[in-house]
Amino acid sequence: MLFAIAWRNVWRNARRSIITMSALALGVAGIVTLFSYREVANEAIVADLTAGLVGHMQVHALGYQEAPAIGLTVENPVQVEAALRGALPGATSERRVIGAGLAGSGDRSSPVMVLGVEPGVSNLYTLEAGHPPGAKEVLVGRALADDLGVKPADELVLVSQGKDGSVANDRYTVAGTFVSSSAELDGNAVVLPLAEAQSFFALGEGVHQLVVRLPLQKEDVTPETAALRNALDLETLEALSWAEMLPQMKASIDNKRKNQGFVDFIIFVIVGLGVFNAMTMAVFERTRELGVLGALGTRPRRVLAMVLLEALWQGALAFAVGVAVAAAVLYGIGTVDLSSMLGGDVMGVKMPSHLELKLLPGSLKGAAVTAFFTAIVGALLPALRAMRLEPVEALRHT
Amino acid sequence: MSLLVTVALFLAADPPPDLPKCPSGEDAPDVVQLMKRTEALLEGRSSIAVMSMGMKTPSYERTVKMKLWSKGRDFALVRVLEGGPRETGMMTLKREKQLWNYLPQAGRVMKLPSGMMGDSWMGSDFTNDDLVRGSSLAQDFTSTVEKTFEHDGRKAWFVTLKPKPDAKTVWGKVELILDRASCVPLEQRFFDDEGALARRMAYSDLKQLGWRTFPMKLTMYPSENGRQTTITYESMELDVDVADDTFSLRRLQQGRE
Repeated sequence: MLFAIAWRNVWRNARRSIITMSALALGVAGIVTLFSYREVANEAIVADLTAGLVGHMQVHALGYQEAPAIGLTVENPVQVEAALRGALPGATSERRVIGAGLAGSGDRSSPVMVLGVEPGVSNLYTLEAGHPPGAKEVLVGRALADDLGVKPADELVLVSQGKDGSVANDRYTVAGTFVSSSAELDGNAVVLPLAEAQSFFALGEGVHQLVVRLPLQKEDVTPETAALRNALDLETLEALSWAEMLPQMKASIDNKRKNQGFVDFIIFVIVGLGVFNAMTMAVFERTRELGVLGALGTRPRRVLAMVLLEALWQGALAFAVGVAVAAAVLYGIGTVDLSSMLGGDVMGVKMPSHLELKLLPGSLKGAAVTAFFTAIVGALLPALRAMRLEPVEALRHT
Repeated sequence: MSLLVTVALFLAADPPPDLPKCPSGEDAPDVVQLMKRTEALLEGRSSIAVMSMGMKTPSYERTVKMKLWSKGRDFALVRVLEGGPRETGMMTLKREKQLWNYLPQAGRVMKLPSGMMGDSWMGSDFTNDDLVRGSSLAQDFTSTVEKTFEHDGRKAWFVTLKPKPDAKTVWGKVELILDRASCVPLEQRFFDDEGALARRMAYSDLKQLGWRTFPMKLTMYPSENGRQTTITYESMELDVDVADDTFSLRRLQQGRE
């Protein structure tokens, strides 16, 4: 009965209720849209990082993250991989060798990052021209290829220092050029098959990074990292999550979330004041009617509930409309190209170029809390006032 | 004094007539004359030498045997006679301020980009820049004889060198310990701009070569713990004619010394 009365009361002054609900609905739509947009972007960035350059976690020789050196290698990758599969069922791993060197072709030379990856396993790069590298073959980042003036089938000379201190030098054929999710790789990296890189740097079986990927995409890998650490010999090895390896990227994502909380709060306050105003007016207009209810013996608590329910009805309607508006906006825009913004590159990580916007269920929680909480808080003071009305005085109200 | 120029000895029976004598008897010698003498001892016109370079780091220890040709301050060629399998036959050519490396495994020559001058040469504690730098300490620094003292049982002068205002140097201060008997350096300490000791070079095995006394062994101790590079001269032909062709880039590209 109370719900029905509250529902009827919503429409007693339809124009005012619609205006109040519009404000609420816009607030909800804003929160849902911003949340979904931000989280879709975060998810895409984290997915790019974990699928490509960084992985969910990495295993290195102890101290490598702090000060990478050619001699700091994981000596027994097979054993470590067995341990990590035991600790993280379903996880995959990728071996990598990374060193600095000098690449030259003809008269041109340039400092480069020499990267050894497992052919067919690594999805660090996308082949742009040519074919995957075989023995004595390399891939060159597109921007680096332009700098060095090389194209597929050209010759490339690499020089560096081996793990044993000797001068590593060799001549390779450029198999192709690649693009990747990292501007740094495109501009600096020469990719070799893992075995070629291991022999170039005189590493034996050793690798610098074991890139670990979990079977399910997720952002917070703290428990998995802890499980991995338990399975490793931490006297010689280190295991780090992507967030530990890219603390600035993690901080940037966390900051954006914090800022969103602040924006939500502002929306909440503005919309809440609107509800407060509308409900104050509604109670004021119905003073005599409330007096009659009181005189007939309606309990003050029921009066309180009646007013609050009226606000909640509006909150519910506004929530539904707001979510519909947000969905229309998100799916209406469809895809966003983040790579054209911010120079396409944040902290060396290229932003995703094809972002499919969608309404994330996670956004509804915040929006629902905002809508209903706003409605209740906005209506609370007027409702308390209605509850405390003295019937005799209320009846005299003109 | 660059590494390559250091051995560019000019062996003659007599010193050049205008060269100041070593002021062994003086407690506070004229520093300009002293530095002139010291540099003349270590620098010359041309040389052919065989040396071995030993490198010690916490993770590896190795020795490379090399042959060196040099002419004046501007031209030098080093060829690795014995080293790791990929570096035997490697050559480094210095022509004035530029360096080229012949890479035997690749069979190619690569010019060293200017950005890599500060990098290690062949994994040693010498940098490429050490090979190239041809300027003299006496030119870039203002020297002062601070005191006379005993160093490793030898009477020595303690000389400090401060960079001149327009000098192109990476060092904030250099300390030089000179043997009073021969004017040969016994030790050299390089400090960075903040005054921290960046590296130390010890000279030993002093040997009489004609009119000169010459240190046959150099040991470089960088600030990094557990590292050192030692150069030991095994043989030297001094004051020999070295053909200009030796330093030709074309020859280097053909992999010929």
